[in-house]
Amino acid sequence: MESPVGEKGVPACGICGEPAVIFQPADRRYLCGTHLVREVEDLVRATVQENALIRPGDRIAVGLSGGKDSTALLVILSRILPAWPGANLVAITVDEGIAGYRADTIRAAQSLTGRLGVEHRMVSFADIIGQDLDHLLIGREKEACTVCGILRKKALADAARTAGATVVATGHNLDDEAQSVLMNAFRGDLPRLLRTTDARTAADFLPRIKPLAAVPEKEIAAYLFVQGFFTELPECPYTKYALRAEVRTFLSDYESAHPGTMQNLVASKKTIERCCAGAPVMEPLRRCRECGDPCSGDLCQVCRLRHSL
Amino acid sequence: MDPGPATVGELLGGLGLHPQEVIVARNGTLVPEQAAIGGDDEIRIIRIAHGG
Ligand SMILES: [Zn+2]
Ligand SMILES: [Zn+2]
Repeated sequence: MESPVGEKGVPACGICGEPAVIFQPADRRYLCGTHLVREVEDLVRATVQENALIRPGDRIAVGLSGGKDSTALLVILSRILPAWPGANLVAITVDEGIAGYRADTIRAAQSLTGRLGVEHRMVSFADIIGQDLDHLLIGREKEACTVCGILRKKALADAARTAGATVVATGHNLDDEAQSVLMNAFRGDLPRLLRTTDARTAADFLPRIKPLAAVPEKEIAAYLFVQGFFTELPECPYTKYALRAEVRTFLSDYESAHPGTMQNLVASKKTIERCCAGAPVMEPLRRCRECGDPCSGDLCQVCRLRHSL
Repeated sequence: MDPGPATVGELLGGLGLHPQEVIVARNGTLVPEQAAIGGDDEIRIIRIAHGG
């Protein structure tokens, strides 16, 4: 690399000259720990401000799995929130009921909220559908991520409403967003691509925001590590069934060869959104005939799932 | 004798790991993949688990 190798064989931070902790390939730049932390927090603040994701007085329900993304989200929001008078946080941990995985992450979530002094609530799949994920998935393990995703969204929304939240924040990062764009494009599913937008529009249900959507996954991990927040946790045992895992590897390869690819994918999505503003791409919102939740068809996904059991 | 990898990036490449999917600490401190490594260095490679 072109950067002068500084002290002890480590390249120097492009801002202050201290030993770098990370290289940003898209910007061809090195950053030390202090400047990485500052840049990540500035980027999140800018994302929130430019898209008006938070309003004064908001009660923000943060989906806190205890993994790296949601941990970083809670840490960063707790630091930048004073800019929005009256806004406050409640962390919500969804216990899917995954043996050998969830216990550690729940402990991590509890210790983090204690450390930050943030209110913490728990909700389980058993509360929502009467069974834990491991039991729901017997004989249909390949559907793990779909089933889990539907129920997690429902559990988080219900718990957020109960907690009196005005908005739900999740820890989706740049890599997640780029993967979603690609997956939706592969499926030819443009409406879904536009439904995943983080705009605060529909008055009907709690808006969902993604404050970390511009931050690369690796920077999130490094952000936590340099501040002593990083905990090595087990990976979800169902990950091997995820289509996303395939797309993730493919996109990592491509990003390595062509830095900036993920940012370009997300920028493409935003361009499409702008071009489609006002166009009838979104399906009209309807109500589930069984539970009354807003949905796009006759039955919501949770009720459809319940029928399939 | 094989001199071994000279940088973190070479080490990762030899192990078939993507720089994007790991963070690496050299003697307890996080370093970029361009950092030099020597025989006495303690290297910790942390896989970035998806999700969370
Ligand atoms: Zn610096
Ligand atoms: Zn329903």
